[in-house]
Amino acid sequence: MTHPADGRHAAFQAEALQHLDAVYRYAYALTRDQSEAEDLTQDTFLQALRHWEQFRPGTNARAWLFTICRNLFLRQRERRAREEPTEAAVLDGIASTAQAFAAPADAGRALFDAPELGDVIRKELDKLPAEYREVVELSDLQDQSYADIAQVLGVPLGTVKSRLFRGRRLLQEALVDYARDAGLLPPPGSDA
Amino acid sequence: MSDCQSVIRQLWEYLDGELPAGEAEEIREHLAACAHCYPQYEFQLRFLDALVKAYAAREVPHPEFVRRLRTTLDAIGDDLT
Repeated sequence: MTHPADGRHAAFQAEALQHLDAVYRYAYALTRDQSEAEDLTQDTFLQALRHWEQFRPGTNARAWLFTICRNLFLRQRERRAREEPTEAAVLDGIASTAQAFAAPADAGRALFDAPELGDVIRKELDKLPAEYREVVELSDLQDQSYADIAQVLGVPLGTVKSRLFRGRRLLQEALVDYARDAGLLPPPGSDA
Repeated sequence: MSDCQSVIRQLWEYLDGELPAGEAEEIREHLAACAHCYPQYEFQLRFLDALVKAYAAREVPHPEFVRRLRTTLDAIGDDLT
């Protein structure tokens, strides 16, 4: 049976539920676990429905849902009191410039034509520090603008850019390492 | 006309569509004419494309979960009216 054409619920159905897959994927990116991602997705939509009047029509509904999802995730993680203290230190310790990686000559052809590339990317993505993985996910999978990501994460625009660029750069370096190990690229120093 | 260093520095912002129209146009012109920068641009473009494709094959919510969630939301929506 369909739901009564109540304005509030109908608007929620039309605006929010179309982002269910996106929210689930974002929840999965945060939790790395199917069951936890389902719980987090459900909690996100329940909270969104209860507070639907706080959503401003015409703004980015997906970003609004991501913000709720992330806040819930952080609260749950806090409650578990199992923060990894090393995360910030790891981030600070990674010396990397916030610009594009200088790709070795011909890296593109050898690397991007490799049939196993998708598996390698997914594996390397899982290894990224959470702060970087999250921004890469929001930008490259969820197609969110820098400004919307800044809003979701509650950080300045410059932080979004540096995390995104460093995250991508770390991924690229890992892919080039993989290509060298697999013999798709010559070892460093010999690829003039 | 942009120089190579500033083009490489702004390459991701350009690819992400985050630059103002005037700056984006300058970079577009530079890339079309620069044998040094164009391969970098092409590498980054293919990298981002590969990321999107790798993501596309990732987990989607289980249909049973989606059905349960919709039912729950409908019930709560009823209560809120």
